[in-house]
Formats: sequence, structure tokens, C-alpha cells
Amino acid sequence: MNTGITTYTYLVYLAISIALTIWVARTLHKNGRVFLVDVFHGNEPLADSVNHLLVVGFYLINFGYVSLALKLGYTVATTQEGIEALSVKVGMVLLVLGGMHFFNLFIFSRMRRRASLVNGPPPVPPDGFTQVAQEA
Amino acid sequence: MSALTVLYDPTCGLCRRAHEWLTGQRKLVELVFVPCKSEEARQLYPQLDHDLTAKDLTVISDEGAVYIGPKAWLMVLWALAQYREWAYRLSTPELLPTTRRVVSLISQNRYQIGRATRLSRRWQNSGQTMAR
Repeated sequence: MNTGITTYTYLVYLAISIALTIWVARTLHKNGRVFLVDVFHGNEPLADSVNHLLVVGFYLINFGYVSLALKLGYTVATTQEGIEALSVKVGMVLLVLGGMHFFNLFIFSRMRRRASLVNGPPPVPPDGFTQVAQEA
Repeated sequence: MSALTVLYDPTCGLCRRAHEWLTGQRKLVELVFVPCKSEEARQLYPQLDHDLTAKDLTVISDEGAVYIGPKAWLMVLWALAQYREWAYRLSTPELLPTTRRVVSLISQNRYQIGRATRLSRRWQNSGQTMAR
């Protein structure tokens, strides 16, 4: 009799989770590009490609989580229960999204740091200079 | 700077093992290994005090900049793609004194370390098998 509310809870959960995931992924995609272009020294096709691949991974992990966390395990009897169940589920999705988002930021910044190291100067000044013979 | 010449001590097992490990690492700057006090080293660097190079690891850039002891170790780390970050980390004012102490300790006791870890013996053995 009350399976109607349960179904609605599931549907609302899916709608909110999917919308949130798409929003975060788009934000990452749009703002991560600048980082990646810098990392790949202006190589825009490569930056776009990596950006796209990162977003695909992001979608896979998040939708995977949303799908796995869908099941409530009990029948929702009242609207109040439905909203409570929703808040727990959506809260978890938000936390996972937040974690993934920071993980992505971490990857971006680490790539940038790595790239800037390649042209780094020697860490210490020399103790002196000597003449180098020309090799035969 | 595009290359670093490493004047290493071929008589110490630890140094030879390190040399072996370094050849397998990805490099940002080319590393050339020349045994210290060898004829090749004397020809390459006629003005260098070669007795000093036997005491401590010496690294010389293709422009003639000489790095001795702990600085030489840091330069070798800096040349490796995987460890350049560590070279910067270990050469900060906070960590440099510790780096110097640890490197000097290892450097001064390299023969004992090599013997204790049986690196020298392994090398002698492989030398014998090669001779056969």
C-alpha cells in the first residue's frame, strides 16, 4: 500500500543525485581545463583529452556509488520517513562527490607541480668550477 | 645543463650497487659514470684534484661546475625524474644539515656498509663468474 512513497523516494533520490553529479562534473570540466593546459605547456588537444577522460572516470565512480547506495532496505510508510531517508542518501552522495572533487583538485595540482619541476634549477650551488677537456 | 659526470668509487660495493640502480632510473639530466682517479677522469678534468674525488662522491656538470659530497648526492637525485622533488626538499635550509650528516655518515662508512650488506662479496662473486 505504501510502496508508492518508497518509489517516489527512490525517484527523487535518483533525480537529485544525478543532477548533482552532472553539476559537479561540469564544474570540474570547465575549470580544470585551465590547469591542464598549463600542465601540458599549452598543448590544448592533449589537455582536452585528459580533461575528458578525468570527467568520464568521475561520472563512472559517482554513478556507481549512487546506484549501489540506492537500496533503502525498508518500506517508507510516511512522507516524513521518505524525507529522512532522502536526506541520509543525498547527504552521503554529497560527501562522496565532495571527496571526489577534492581528489580531482589534488590530481590537478600535483600534475602542475610535477610539470614545473622539469625546468627547475639545480638545488644547490656548485663548490667550484673546473676546466672540462673536449672529448676526442 | 644537459649532463652530469659522476666520479664514483669503483672499489666500493655500495657505490657499484648505487650505480646499477641509477642506470635503471628515468633521468631529466643525463648521468655519465666515470671511475674516480681513472685515466679517463684525469683526461676529462686535468685541473681537478683527483685524490679528493676518491674521498667523497664528486659530480661535475658539462659546464664544469663541481659538486662535492652531500651536494653531489643532491645533484644526482635532482637528475632523476622521480626524485627531483626530493632533491629540493632535502636541500631546504631546515633539512640540509641533516642531509649533510646522513650523507657524510654513509659516505665515510661505505666500505663497512658494503661488507655488512654483502654487496662487495656479491660483486666479487659475479666478477669471478664473469672471469670463468
